[in-house]
Amino acid sequence: MSHGGVALPKKERLILEFLTSGGPMYGLQLVEHSGGALKRGTVYVTLGRMEAKGLVESQQEPLPPGGIGLPRRLYRPTALGERMLRAWTAFTRELAWEVKS
Amino acid sequence: MTGANDGRRAPGTILLKISALVFSDHVLSTVVQPTISDLQREVANAAPPGLTRLRARWRGYRAFWTLILIAPFVSWPSPTDEAGAVAFPEAIARLAIGSIVVTLLLIIGPVLGAWVAAVTAVGTLCAILIHAWYIRHPSDLAVPRGAHGRLPQINFSSTDVADNIGGLIFVVGSVFIVVIGVPSVIWFLSAATLAGGGVAWALAAWHASHPKNGLPENQIVLR
Repeated sequence: MSHGGVALPKKERLILEFLTSGGPMYGLQLVEHSGGALKRGTVYVTLGRMEAKGLVESQQEPLPPGGIGLPRRLYRPTALGERMLRAWTAFTRELAWEVKS
Repeated sequence: MTGANDGRRAPGTILLKISALVFSDHVLSTVVQPTISDLQREVANAAPPGLTRLRARWRGYRAFWTLILIAPFVSWPSPTDEAGAVAFPEAIARLAIGSIVVTLLLIIGPVLGAWVAAVTAVGTLCAILIHAWYIRHPSDLAVPRGAHGRLPQINFSSTDVADNIGGLIFVVGSVFIVVIGVPSVIWFLSAATLAGGGVAWALAAWHASHPKNGLPENQIVLR
């Protein structure tokens, strides 16, 4: 359901909920928190899309001295992302109430 | 970045190098590197028993290859000016198409025989050669007005086959396919191809020495 590009897909909403309630997280933490709703192979695609939309921002962790491997990315919601989540939650709640009554 | 511990490479180092060849910098840093980083982190944190590490590796590699599989179909607006562009460059799409062709060949071989598989392989190679040629040497034929708006068709009459090596590949490829289907016409078609090549060569030479002659006034080319 996309009207003029204003929509919050389920996975994006889930990520925003985790980030706003649990604070900044790494991609793998989001996957573990979701209990199977987010997959390891696609979570960064979703996060990349959300970053391009301005819903989340990320920062690369500094690699500790002597550390091996690639640095991870820490994700946090932007002000726009938090506003979007609030608006979307209110909208779906109101819609559910309308349908019920 | 992918430093080595006790002289061994961190897992995913080669995958990262391959990814650097096919993915754009933006996708590499926002999608591929974090996926490989998770793999490395999980393997490093896995307890010493081999099975736990093996499981960590399996999860990490599965995530990476899932990403590769979905890559050609993913698009999103980029923060730069590539709004709406497919996030993954053409190379990865080629990789995916190549994998599909190889899979088809593997299926076709046992079912329809090695000969059909070989013909399919040659046909695919011809198509790739023609495509590669036109990418590097866009056709210099004048295109009639309105042609840009037409829908793509699989139709000989709308295929741009110019007087260049692309045209030669097209002709040789077509002749080869017909000869396989109707072997009795091999000499006729070979002679016709040679004769056609000779006429084309003579025409090209004549046009080169008379650049003003033979070109239509309004640059509309008969197809």
